[in-house]
Amino acid sequence: MSYSEKIQEVIDSAPVALFMKGTPDAIMCGNSERALGALRRAGASVTAVDVLTDMQIREDLSAISGWPTIPQVFVGGELVGGADIVEELERSGELERTLIEKLGENYWESRGEQTAVLTEA
Amino acid sequence: MRVYQFRHIRVLVSLAPSAGWAATMRVVAKERLQAILEKAFPDAPEVLVIDRGGGDHFEARVTDSSFNGLSMIDQHKLIYKALAEPWADGTIHELRIRTKGVTDTGGAS
Repeated sequence: MSYSEKIQEVIDSAPVALFMKGTPDAIMCGNSERALGALRRAGASVTAVDVLTDMQIREDLSAISGWPTIPQVFVGGELVGGADIVEELERSGELERTLIEKLGENYWESRGEQTAVLTEA
Repeated sequence: MRVYQFRHIRVLVSLAPSAGWAATMRVVAKERLQAILEKAFPDAPEVLVIDRGGGDHFEARVTDSSFNGLSMIDQHKLIYKALAEPWADGTIHELRIRTKGVTDTGGAS
């Protein structure tokens, strides 16, 4: 499977997919930290993908999403935005509304984080 | 001299022996981004580029009627599109974006 196919699989299957620099345990970028922080506070179930493991992941991801920067947050298969948008959605209360709308009222029951490691094989 | 991203160091060292020159380059970059956005959003009541340090970190604040009715994602995509060239050439390494639509009464929505 190519990176593109694997990226698409994560986007389609994870309730919340976070493409970030580093992992939730070892965050390598302030903006990735901001996005993860907002998702944590909202009680989301986050599947994190570290884009730093291969430059190709970042390129293929941006080709799929049309979004040039990292982090990228997808909820229910749809791009929500980067750190600025996710933080703004949190401030306005819309982040929780989006999570409920896409994932159902009990989305927080599966809160937590897992890391998906992408390799091209 | 400020701490620059590693990939820029060689260019800056060869071009810029003084901290004063580096500061000038940052002002030039900010003004270039400001001009690009003003051209892309000619009727915008607010276009503001803020230098957020590091030489290539900026914030863009734009209020424009073309954002009305668009999701935040699509609003930010318009900013990325307008700034595609300075992204590609490394002028921008990091960008914060704040966008707003304009209401009928002229206020920000």
